[in-house]
Amino acid sequence: MAQEQGNTRKVAIYRYDPTVGGDGHYDHYDLHIEDETNTTILDVLLRIQREQDSTLAFRYACRVNMCGSCAVVINGREGLACKTNVSDFAESKDLTIRPLNHFPVVKDLVVDMGPFFEKYEECLPFFEPRDMSEEPAIIRPDSIERRAIGFSTECIACGCCVSSCTMVNYHDGYAGPAPLNRAFTLLLDSRDALYEERLDRVLQSCYNCRTEFNCTEVCPKEISCTRSIKFIQRLAIKEPFRAKAKSKAEAAASAPAHGENVAAEPCAAHASGEAGQCGCDENLDTGRRNFLAKVTVGLGAVSALTVGGVLASTFVGQSLDKKEPVWVPAGKLGDLKEGDVTTVNLRYVENVGFYNQERVKPVMIYRNQEEDKVVVYDSRCTHLGCSVHWDARQKLFLCACHGGAFELDGSVKAGPPPRPLATLEHRVENGNILIAMV
Amino acid sequence: MSHETLKTDILILGMGAAGQLAALYAYDANPDLKITIVTKALKGKGGCSRMVQGGLNVVLNDSDSHEKHLMDTLKGGQYVNDQDLARTLVEEATPTIKEMETRFGCFFDRNPDGTIHQKPFAGQSFDRTVHKGDLTGIEMISRTTEQIMKRDIQVLEECRAVDLLTDDSGDEVTGALMLDMKQGRFVVIEAAATLVATGGGPTQYSFHAPGPEKSVDGLAMLYRAGVRLRDMEMIQFHPTGLIIPGSVVAGSLLEEGLRGAGAHLYNGEGKRYMHKYDPAEERATRDVVSRSAFLEMLAGRACVEGGIQIDAAHMGAEFVLKNFPGMAARCRQFGYDLARERVPISPTAHFVMGGADIDKNCHTSLRRLFVAGEDSGGVHGGNRLGGNGICESAVYGRQAGKSLARFFRTNSSTPPETAPGLVDELKKKFTEPFGRSGSTEDVFQLRRQLQECNWKKVGVVRNGQDMESAIGEINFLKEESKKVKVTGGDNYNMVWNTYIDLTNMIDVSDMVVASALARKESRAAHYRSDFPDQNDEIGLFNTYLTLGDNGLPTLHSEPVDFKYKSAEECRNHKK
Repeated sequence: MAQEQGNTRKVAIYRYDPTVGGDGHYDHYDLHIEDETNTTILDVLLRIQREQDSTLAFRYACRVNMCGSCAVVINGREGLACKTNVSDFAESKDLTIRPLNHFPVVKDLVVDMGPFFEKYEECLPFFEPRDMSEEPAIIRPDSIERRAIGFSTECIACGCCVSSCTMVNYHDGYAGPAPLNRAFTLLLDSRDALYEERLDRVLQSCYNCRTEFNCTEVCPKEISCTRSIKFIQRLAIKEPFRAKAKSKAEAAASAPAHGENVAAEPCAAHASGEAGQCGCDENLDTGRRNFLAKVTVGLGAVSALTVGGVLASTFVGQSLDKKEPVWVPAGKLGDLKEGDVTTVNLRYVENVGFYNQERVKPVMIYRNQEEDKVVVYDSRCTHLGCSVHWDARQKLFLCACHGGAFELDGSVKAGPPPRPLATLEHRVENGNILIAMV
Repeated sequence: MSHETLKTDILILGMGAAGQLAALYAYDANPDLKITIVTKALKGKGGCSRMVQGGLNVVLNDSDSHEKHLMDTLKGGQYVNDQDLARTLVEEATPTIKEMETRFGCFFDRNPDGTIHQKPFAGQSFDRTVHKGDLTGIEMISRTTEQIMKRDIQVLEECRAVDLLTDDSGDEVTGALMLDMKQGRFVVIEAAATLVATGGGPTQYSFHAPGPEKSVDGLAMLYRAGVRLRDMEMIQFHPTGLIIPGSVVAGSLLEEGLRGAGAHLYNGEGKRYMHKYDPAEERATRDVVSRSAFLEMLAGRACVEGGIQIDAAHMGAEFVLKNFPGMAARCRQFGYDLARERVPISPTAHFVMGGADIDKNCHTSLRRLFVAGEDSGGVHGGNRLGGNGICESAVYGRQAGKSLARFFRTNSSTPPETAPGLVDELKKKFTEPFGRSGSTEDVFQLRRQLQECNWKKVGVVRNGQDMESAIGEINFLKEESKKVKVTGGDNYNMVWNTYIDLTNMIDVSDMVVASALARKESRAAHYRSDFPDQNDEIGLFNTYLTLGDNGLPTLHSEPVDFKYKSAEECRNHKK
């Protein structure tokens, strides 16, 4: 590991001079390093500045992985210069160091972090006390809340995650991983009063995540922002809203001012620290929800067009082999509530190649009285096949895995699903519904 | 170079715990006040508060008391603390830490029953250190930075104050001259009240724990503005700084908890040596352990890396990895296996006990000027206890915030005129390096020479002769620094910044060496090999200094005011 005579590395560093403008360029340096295991990328930058080019600009402060100032892209991957050692790269490899993606460059490796902090602030990242207690809350370290939050509060806002994210450039409104992670930690914090407002602010953003795990992979503090984002989606599904989505304008008008205490009544479970477990539906304020904005519907449609074609024959529905359907009874038509969706578990035996297997499959049946018709939906999400459930309050089919949402007519409302929910063939005989399971 | 002028009610220099809490408390007391924070780094990323690993000493338990915390603090400081400041520290720490949780959303580690956990630290008669794992600073600063975002408080990032501005009489501070580092231009901020809370960080020593951007700016600016400072001979060296040859990470800490848990220290001969210096062996206070290591090194018993070695492995790899994961990871990054082998360490410059002479409401010897945190002196006396540092920043940040808000109840919010010509004079002084021609001095080289001079001659172990020679060397470096030439553009010019850092480090070096020469005894962190004993007959005084007409510190001493506890009580306190 330790180099006997050392090694000479070729180092390419991105240079940009704001007084010149343009696209910038790479400057190349040769640096002899005696002991690569003891030399960080920050040491490399400091040495080049000291020994070869005093005009080189980069940013750093604590130099021990605690402040998050020195994030750069090293050989294509985001990392803190102070936490990355030269010996992390094979001896024969050249080093290429460039500024973070998605941020305006101030000079050389220094980027303007302003846009990051703007997004951060939009997510209401600050604690708002639920009550004016003078004593610190009694919260057990093994409470559900604290176990779920874990060490996600240790984010140092370095921006590596945002740089690694392929989605932030496509969606203006996307808050990005770190801000959502911070929102997640506060959403679970039973001491905080801004649960609803924060969820309102961030949930739309969460649907822009495509679960690529880039942020999780590059985080120098080993926080999984992906997990945090998915957790927020699950929270929203567990605590759905009574009201229909409002227009954007209305939502903006009702958004809380910074610092204003706009706490709604907390639910008991929330106050006792059982975040994620409480069924606070009953206590929720009705007029305040605006989850699935139109923008996400548009995005869903785009992905449906692009991805749908590829996936159509692989995921849901049509098997390539012609298979005789099994007609499975699903109860009496008269038992289904009119104008509503009922979930029914179908039990049947399916022939699977070499053997027969007993299946239990949920289907969702919509009875539209006005048009006197029944629509049966396959409960598999068209994204990756997770189970979709009907949310009566939002009047949406929701998927807990990646936040997919479908309208009552099966069309994609939001999230990653590439195509509408699949429908199943059915017939009514003597008042009994029979559904064709393939 | 032209400049922009901004006006504000309150100007806060520094965005560590002291600066942030001051802003929050001042704002909450009076949201109409216009508050401007200026930070040398990005929002919340600079300063030493963020780097705090250990935690804060706070009395929270019925079996503990402010009395005990006060006595521990005075004993740790070897009796030369300002007792008013020390008492305010311990008494206000309790509400401060509670408000950090209830108002600002910090969440410190809990006991199994859900109450706040407190861990043991050296020099304490009760286990009272509140913490968040070994990353307490991140929790505190991240949460308070968010609170700043929530309020209408202006933050100027990557902007450094280069000097304070005063009126014609020199008695009132009227704001400060800033260098906006990103744009490379000057900004004058006129303020009705100014708080200096930039943090110290004795980086004028070759081996230092704080990050290199901490360059004792606040202390130097206070000194140049004519503020009265105290106890500048008291520089704390932390015993366990990691040795990483050639890396900027060298000097960063392995936390004190390792010794607390039972880690052993070995010299270059492979022998434990602490029993020769103190019956408490490795668990003695920081000043003793640092000095012992240094004396071993001086005696030629250093390990091959140049320091001594810490051995945590004997406690078992599993134990080390479970209890010190952060430290193990820090070692692992540089090829050291803390859980299984000895790791080379050295004493490392860590904290400045001295600083501006303040009262408990953070007033200084100049009007409209407030100081809080490491830039102030007196709280810790001659040696700071682990866990009292971030505690001071938080408590005195809060004190300053309240005090600043009160200031506006009785004082005009219009500062007097800045002395005519002062701004231009300062701008000229700080841009001079751009105009120089001919052969130039290398600013990095000068900084290293200054650090080596301080380390060898005004460091852990000092003596009169070395310090006299250090004065000559510092003067030489001061002259050489006037030949430094800076090239490149104005914006984000790191060499220019390093030049300003260097001028500050030189000024503080002047203060330290002058004060250290004046204390002809050894006390706490100040150890003189020519006066190796603590002498309470002559030593119970504080050193005060101001900038003299000759450009050097003018010193005088005053006896310690034993306002609440006598020297006898302090001596007899057993932790």
